[in-house]
Amino acid sequence: MDGHRDSPPKRQRDDEDGYDEYPPRKRSSASLSPSSASPRYRIAERPAQRYSRADDSDDERKYYRSRSRPRSGSGSRSVIRRRSQSPSCTPTPPKPTTLDYKPTLILHGHKKGVASVKFSPDGRYIASCSADCTIKIWDAQTGKLEHTLEGHLAGVSAIAWSPDSKILASGSDDKTIRLWNISTGQPHPTPFLGHHNYVYSLAFSPKGNMLVSGSYDEALFVWDVRAARVMRSLPAHSDPVGGVDFVRDGTLIVSCANDGLIRVWDTATGQCLRTLVHEDNAPVTSVRFSPNGKYVLAWTLDSCLRLWNYIDGKGKCVKTYQGHENKKFSLSGAFGTYGGPPPYQYAFIASGSEDGDIVLWDVSSKNILQKLIGHTAPVLSVDTHPTEQLIVSGGLDRTVRIWRCKEDFAIQPQPQDDILRQLQVLAADGADA
Amino acid sequence: MNLSLVDPFVLAQDCPEVITGRLRSGHSTSIRFSHRGDLLASGRHDGVAVIFDIETNGVARKLRGHTRQVQSLSWSTNDRYLLSAGQDWKCVLWDLKDGSRVRTVRFETAIFIAELHPKNNMVFVAALFEDQPVLVDMSADVPIKHTLPSAPRRSQIERENASEKQAAQDAKQTSTVTVFTPSGDHIIAGTNKGWLNIISTATRQVQYSTRFTNNIIVFVRLTPSGRDVVINSSDRIVRTLHLPDLSDPKLDFDTLQLEVEHKFQDLVNRLSWNHVSFSPSGEYVTASTWMNHHIYVWERGQGSLVKILEGTKEELSVVEWHPFRPFVAAIGVDSGRVWLWSILQPQRWSALAPDFVEVEENVEYIEREDEFDIQPLEEIHKRRLDQEDEEVDVLTVEPVKSATEYEAGDFRMPVLLDIEASDSEDEVVAIGAGQFRRKSPGTGREWMNDDELVASGDEARKALTNGTTATTQNGTKRRRGG
Repeated sequence: MDGHRDSPPKRQRDDEDGYDEYPPRKRSSASLSPSSASPRYRIAERPAQRYSRADDSDDERKYYRSRSRPRSGSGSRSVIRRRSQSPSCTPTPPKPTTLDYKPTLILHGHKKGVASVKFSPDGRYIASCSADCTIKIWDAQTGKLEHTLEGHLAGVSAIAWSPDSKILASGSDDKTIRLWNISTGQPHPTPFLGHHNYVYSLAFSPKGNMLVSGSYDEALFVWDVRAARVMRSLPAHSDPVGGVDFVRDGTLIVSCANDGLIRVWDTATGQCLRTLVHEDNAPVTSVRFSPNGKYVLAWTLDSCLRLWNYIDGKGKCVKTYQGHENKKFSLSGAFGTYGGPPPYQYAFIASGSEDGDIVLWDVSSKNILQKLIGHTAPVLSVDTHPTEQLIVSGGLDRTVRIWRCKEDFAIQPQPQDDILRQLQVLAADGADA
Repeated sequence: MNLSLVDPFVLAQDCPEVITGRLRSGHSTSIRFSHRGDLLASGRHDGVAVIFDIETNGVARKLRGHTRQVQSLSWSTNDRYLLSAGQDWKCVLWDLKDGSRVRTVRFETAIFIAELHPKNNMVFVAALFEDQPVLVDMSADVPIKHTLPSAPRRSQIERENASEKQAAQDAKQTSTVTVFTPSGDHIIAGTNKGWLNIISTATRQVQYSTRFTNNIIVFVRLTPSGRDVVINSSDRIVRTLHLPDLSDPKLDFDTLQLEVEHKFQDLVNRLSWNHVSFSPSGEYVTASTWMNHHIYVWERGQGSLVKILEGTKEELSVVEWHPFRPFVAAIGVDSGRVWLWSILQPQRWSALAPDFVEVEENVEYIEREDEFDIQPLEEIHKRRLDQEDEEVDVLTVEPVKSATEYEAGDFRMPVLLDIEASDSEDEVVAIGAGQFRRKSPGTGREWMNDDELVASGDEARKALTNGTTATTQNGTKRRRGG
């Protein structure tokens, strides 16, 4: 019905002729009016980064390029405020204002852009899926390619790990969802058939018995994983469903769509319990519950991430994170923690950006803690390790990158040689066992 | 975590109302909810025990070991082990982690009911047909059976005056139902002469006996607190009574007087009751009716009938109440289906859009003073962003102790992906996307030819580990869907 169907904002389907020229996205730029809209978000640029370190090598400068950006007054304000607080309460260590993730590994192997990367819940593996129709399983520590999962007939947009880390679900543009046995690398014989269009996002229930999938056909399906059948079809949205997620106890599902709506569903009854809309109605491309399940984080195509309190009242946007670029692609990211053991543990949000950076924000202050620079094309997916200070990212430059943060990052900068311990794992096609 | 969003009026309802679903895998003969309420074990007429996932209404596991109808089921407190008693005179303890048989205990006679000890899953008590009940310790490879008495405890005077006839009658008494109290320290036993015995698990002696009826006690069920008992007896009366705290050391069994709190019966139709159960709090008592299609629900405050659950066209046998939700499951006698009653939640239209409000009657809209004022967008955005200064905590998990939530160390049953183990309509096999055909007779019953030595009744696990390569087991090529 609309012309924009022709060029869907698939994460990976546009890089076939090289990732540096993007075909027009599904949302016509007129509807978004990006040129006129962008000044409104200018205040988003608040890189409140402050590096107290002295060493100033070229590589360092390359990684922390953002330092040279002009610091806006609003951005530094909160930093100063925190600084002034800290002497009064001496025993508590001050909240870190920067993070120090450094590139550790660059994993090559995908022949087209990487649409999604996910750490397994046990932290052992990284799964990455790509427009080249494959999924690759990497060892999270060494970067060794464990398996290349082949079987999808079209690009793979979504992956989800089962909670026991033994099964990986993948959703593809061939309209199927497949389950993969990670120990053998074999697909489960029964694909999940039912969607009429590209499968766009997936999430496992915490018990692993249900899988929720969002599709370009505007439907949201809840699958019985054991029987590979649709258990419930949720009349979710009137536009392609961009993202889905399960809350930590599995009783709620959140979904978002290009129509700008975020809906929260009751898993047991299949009823919509809450609808969140931002007044600009920007297409929502990805959505996640916070680790404690009290908030919902949503990526919108107006270069914003919004944190919603969906419980109180009718739902309220409590935080807006800006500083990255997101106008075309379904970016996704994750929550992470930093600081220390629980009383001094703080949360950050990691997201990719279309300028090739990975941006880390502090959840409460909205300050940018770090920009990880390395990708040469839009970073579509970022995930954080369940226990360690590790970040994995994948993007249209066909690489998967692993970033590590020293636990005691606030104390000492590491010597050069350690930082640039970049291993290049060149994975030939048949190299996997 | 959905509770804060669900309509409080729906949450306030505590009694199921309408049929909301049905489960089917073969012909069920007995059902039991797991303690966490996410699984329903169902014993089948052909001896297979099936675990249903209540969330997906699908089969989560099949346990093959009995050759005849499964008579009773009992879950261990951590929901990892399941004890099934079959009409093949066997009790099997299953480990749901891998579907293996942990122990198989044989008896010389049929078993009425077998109940696992709430604290020790290697101990169970069983009531036997025309025999004395036994307390079985399975911790060793060879199970040790301790016989429990059925004869009621008589006071000193009664014992002295006892005639020979009465002594002989006492000796002939057998228990028809035995259940553990929640602490596991005592066993409540009902006899075929209508006596209710409280037996100490440690000494295996009857500590207290009382008689409410002259007829057979068919079934006894306790609330999770262990302070309320419901008794179904063949005199067509369902009785409820309060129990004292049996583990209280100050309790004197000699002066204990148990009194019937309510007698539920249908005086008009003279219905007899197939099976009785408590609601989780003990507030309601449900009973399925013999030769009738109804489930009666009484509330215990006033002792009145509050609801009759209907909708099936068949008699219902075992009726079980979910451990914490207003949700009742019952077996249809003819079809062997499991019928589910629950509450229907209407969709709240106000949830579909943030500016929808549910109103009782028309409300005149009053325009806000500044509603149509034009304000510079940048200003609005800036102001909005500056207002977002509250501290948000996305990490701290509030300690909600609901039974659904799994703790870190809790047992979780692995999810099996094998379609052979997952088909819920047994006569039908999926052979492709949306394509089904009837199963040829005899398939899926190869396990019956298996030797007893096969420790695992769960072929699904083996099939899974073997991957997708065509698996050949016992010389028969296994059929796989897709």
